[in-house]
Amino acid sequence: MREQVVVVGAGMVGHRFVEELVSRDREHRFDVHLVGAEEYEPYNRILLTEVLARRSDVAALTLPRPPERVSVQRGVSATSVDRDQRLVELDDGTALQYDHLVLATGASAFVPPIEGLGGEESPHHVHVLRTIDDCRDLVARTVNARHAVVLGGGVLGLEAACGLARRGLAVTVVHLDAHLMADQLDPAVAGTLARSLDDLGVRVHTSTSVAEVVGAYGELVAVRLTDGTVISTDLMLVSCGIRPETGLAAAAGLPTGRGVTVGADLASPADPAVRAIGDCAETPEGCSGLVAPGWEQAARLARLMTAAPAPLLEEPLPEGIRLKAAGVDLVARGVRGSGAGPDDRVVALSDPQARRHVEVVLRRGRLLGFTALGAPEVSASLSVAFERRTPLPVDPAALLVPQAGAPDARSTMEASPTLIPADATICRCNGVTKSDLMGAWDDGCHSVEEMASATRATTGCGGCTESVCGLVDWLTSSDGVDENSAQPVRNTTGHTVAGAKHQARSDEMLPS
Amino acid sequence: MSVETHCPYCALQCAMRLEVEDGAVTVAPRDFPTNRGGLCQKGWTSAAVLTAPDRITTPMVRGDDGELTPATWQDALGLVADRLTGIRDAHGADAVGVFGGGGLTNEKAYQLGKFARAVLGTRHIDYNGRFCMSSAAAAGNRAFGIDRGLPFPVEDIDRAGAVLLVGSNVADTMPPFVQHLAGAREHGGLIVVDPRVSATAALTTEGAGLHLQALPGTDLPLLLGILHLVVAEGWSDERYLARRTTGWEEVRRSVAAWWPARVAATTGVPESRLREAARLLADAAPHRGGAGAMVLTGRGAEQHADGTDTVTAAINLALALGLPGRPGSGYGCLTGQGNGQGGREHGQKADQLPGYRSIEDPADRAHVAGVWGVEPDSLPGKGVPAVELLGKLGTEVRALLVHGSNPVVSAPDATAVRRRLAALDLLVVCDLVPSETTELADVVLPVTQWAEEEGTMTSLEGRVLRRRTALAPPGEVRSELDVLADLAALLGSSVPMEREPAAVFDELARASAGGRADYSGLSHASLDEGTPMFWPAAPDSTPRLFAAAFAHPDGLARMVPVAAGGPDDDLRADAPVYLVTGRVLAQYQSGAQTRRVPALNRTAPDSFVELHPQLALRLGIEPGDGVRVTSSRGAASAPARITSTIRPDTVFMPFHWGGDALANAVTNDATDPVSGMPEFKVCAVSVTRAEEKLMEATG
Repeated sequence: MREQVVVVGAGMVGHRFVEELVSRDREHRFDVHLVGAEEYEPYNRILLTEVLARRSDVAALTLPRPPERVSVQRGVSATSVDRDQRLVELDDGTALQYDHLVLATGASAFVPPIEGLGGEESPHHVHVLRTIDDCRDLVARTVNARHAVVLGGGVLGLEAACGLARRGLAVTVVHLDAHLMADQLDPAVAGTLARSLDDLGVRVHTSTSVAEVVGAYGELVAVRLTDGTVISTDLMLVSCGIRPETGLAAAAGLPTGRGVTVGADLASPADPAVRAIGDCAETPEGCSGLVAPGWEQAARLARLMTAAPAPLLEEPLPEGIRLKAAGVDLVARGVRGSGAGPDDRVVALSDPQARRHVEVVLRRGRLLGFTALGAPEVSASLSVAFERRTPLPVDPAALLVPQAGAPDARSTMEASPTLIPADATICRCNGVTKSDLMGAWDDGCHSVEEMASATRATTGCGGCTESVCGLVDWLTSSDGVDENSAQPVRNTTGHTVAGAKHQARSDEMLPS
Repeated sequence: MSVETHCPYCALQCAMRLEVEDGAVTVAPRDFPTNRGGLCQKGWTSAAVLTAPDRITTPMVRGDDGELTPATWQDALGLVADRLTGIRDAHGADAVGVFGGGGLTNEKAYQLGKFARAVLGTRHIDYNGRFCMSSAAAAGNRAFGIDRGLPFPVEDIDRAGAVLLVGSNVADTMPPFVQHLAGAREHGGLIVVDPRVSATAALTTEGAGLHLQALPGTDLPLLLGILHLVVAEGWSDERYLARRTTGWEEVRRSVAAWWPARVAATTGVPESRLREAARLLADAAPHRGGAGAMVLTGRGAEQHADGTDTVTAAINLALALGLPGRPGSGYGCLTGQGNGQGGREHGQKADQLPGYRSIEDPADRAHVAGVWGVEPDSLPGKGVPAVELLGKLGTEVRALLVHGSNPVVSAPDATAVRRRLAALDLLVVCDLVPSETTELADVVLPVTQWAEEEGTMTSLEGRVLRRRTALAPPGEVRSELDVLADLAALLGSSVPMEREPAAVFDELARASAGGRADYSGLSHASLDEGTPMFWPAAPDSTPRLFAAAFAHPDGLARMVPVAAGGPDDDLRADAPVYLVTGRVLAQYQSGAQTRRVPALNRTAPDSFVELHPQLALRLGIEPGDGVRVTSSRGAASAPARITSTIRPDTVFMPFHWGGDALANAVTNDATDPVSGMPEFKVCAVSVTRAEEKLMEATG
């Protein structure tokens, strides 16, 4: 008799969990049922703001089909859990028997109480952005809307604000804290971020909130802020965070806090047959609201259920933020400058005029955290250094600028022939140096063709032909070849004098 | 005397003319579509190997004193035959192994496979091409139903507006090939993926293209990320995908989780460059009105424990853009060894019979057995890939015959390979010159090289080329075709073994008839007429594959979703740096040939460890200092070469040298589950300054 696994919630984490479980369950110990409330196939929710910004086709969001072994029911919600009978009841009137229940019910958008919102008089065109339907509604509204107010300046709010701006709307972000992303950014960095958003046509109002939405004939026309400001607008997006979906668990008598309470083993302390992962779960670390920890929980639970060996215990890396919007690149991971201890090193490059700020925090040679705004080349390499814990430069200032250097060979090729060192390779294919070519010159080769047949330079890929031409021209002018005879003017002692000349040329290379 | 032939080294097989005067050979390039009159330093100086001072000119047998001592052919072959017979009688036919090479001519590769299967009756044959082409071959067969490195003539690359080179440093490995990138560079469309600013990556500067300096081991997520962008931007060729492929929907879904910001954090390649790479390729794609786009892979992408999947991701990208089968577009792999293509078609591979036939297919077995004049049931079954074969030495496999290979230098975890070779009851090595592997041999047999023999080579574009004799071999050197025929007779086999290359080729052509790599329309005589001949040639040459159909029975390309894993041997606290290995321009493979050419040794005298100035400063290493690179398998030391062109988290070593500088003592022998390719291209190491000062001129 196979054990029955019922997964409630077919979002990114529930979906990842069934993949992980099936790939590890080689003996087919489990039958897996996936139940999802949305009609759609599982999709990548993270990219909804990319769709809004016209940077991604909806087709790019569809996640891989669950493995064939998994029975999937879409457009069906779980209505209750009978823990005594181990039954999950569904809104289509059926029920599923379980041995293991995995709650991956996710979260819903949190909408704070606002005057004029929620009642019968509530105007149209106040949106949230959590599902593909939300996204479609929002995109549809942008066709006729000209101004948008975004309430909440977190990652989702700012990405959506940039996306709305790309669709030609005048956008105002209203943010309750004194500065944007107060949990992740220090004030100065947040200020630079606000300026780069302003460059994209997104205004930011901080230390205020929306007190009232004002409608006329059922349509949104304005919002009034708590500081009294009134902004005319015909679209509003509420992005004030998420609220974990705990209803099913709470109704089944399971302990819940902000999310469904689970231990490090992801099981409910009240019932080991019920687990919770992803946005709906409150682990000992809390509720993260991000996909990476959810994926990690999915993998961890699959390993626990299949008794697979756990990976080497490494302390999990702190999550952070990545703001993905055209024109703004922001990545912040781990500890920020103001969170550094007295012995930590904080090294920063502050360049607000260029909308750039890079900051690293180090403790005993290890990267504890970084913030990179407006520095996409650096944010990618810092992300790798942070995640892979690669060795850091002795002077951490080197982390603040792009690390890859210009190709050495190239700079040699482009230098004037005078400045090229004698031992520099001119023709890589045939290992021919500048001094080899000068030797050929001394032996009487005074054209590119003669140089080529004597040294084989230019006879591989041909890429150095220009350099050899340049060298021939330079030698011609500096050696004073008689154009008519095409013979160099030489003293009777030949090589000695030529050697002296080369010496003189080499001297030109010395730094003055 | 003047002889038209091709270079002894890489798969570009540059055309050359040999002038012979008083026994001295001089080399001059010939105009040919692949090299267009160019030769690199290796080609120009290739004649020097003919007169290598330590050339092996007589058979050598290890005496009671442990030294290799000259012997007559009769004694040496008699000894080999006796010992092989004894080992077979005691342990069975599978106790004798055969290890071939991708540098052998088609004739020799064919005859070696026949010798193993029909004369020795062993299933244990494989070859060093497993370290070279196996991942690309497996992925090509899976996607297209056929594996021809470039399924189009190399000149087609000239027409492409964008070329994506994943893990290939052609400017060092096959320099004259760089001419074919000129068109893409003019369009600003050369995209090179490499953890180093290699000589090839440097070709992207000045607006010629884009260098994606990815973290080692992340080619697969990088390719998934580029495909994600193609989907996100709506740049896929849906019409082509619907008509010519299966599996697109699954592949499209498989990249949904690889959005640009995630790929940037995984690979270290900034999002803007990912987007630019996707745009360059899509703009050059024919369905969007572009001049053509090419996706080409090299060993950097393929030599991984997920190498087959990495190549599959590259092929998926090419298919999504509608490239394969369209003129001036496509996917190809850049074959490495001189006959890396032909070497994998005619029976050296553990699971293959000539003509790319399967040793497990009854019809294929019957056809080949018919040509060989043996019973199909007498042929052994499928053997095991190279790394696994080397792992059986000294236990299940008691004797090994090595042809055209130097596994002590070229195999991963080489220290273990040396130990296992030493544990054999009998090691017989056919070679031209002493190598790290002949040093361990019980019997060394001197064989002909390039300018001393007739035969054919199949180049990277699947074109069959003639290799011709310019001069007689020195001393008692013989062709491997004679060696195998003599051994077969001494072993009492009744299987006829031809000795003449042209006759062997005719037999190969018959054996390949109807196979995937069909040579049946070819002969030495027809090739000598000079008409270009690309296989399948049954009887007509096929320069371009896939114009109308792929080689699967339904004519469709198979798209297979792949997932990114990561290196088998990943970074940890005591091994915080990645090692990547590769090549330098002036040396070839294990260096057995090129390390004997004075001009090449002047250019590239020694190994080195390339590292970034920041890493060097942290480790207290200065230019020329000895650097020790250590993995959980072993260590290698070489002088430091400090350059900002490498990632600060990565060190590079060329693998051409043995001794203390043996890079493959460090590399990982974890293999790809599909292809058997070992993970040469990435492992975790610690890097320290060596005690002793190793001098090297920096440059």
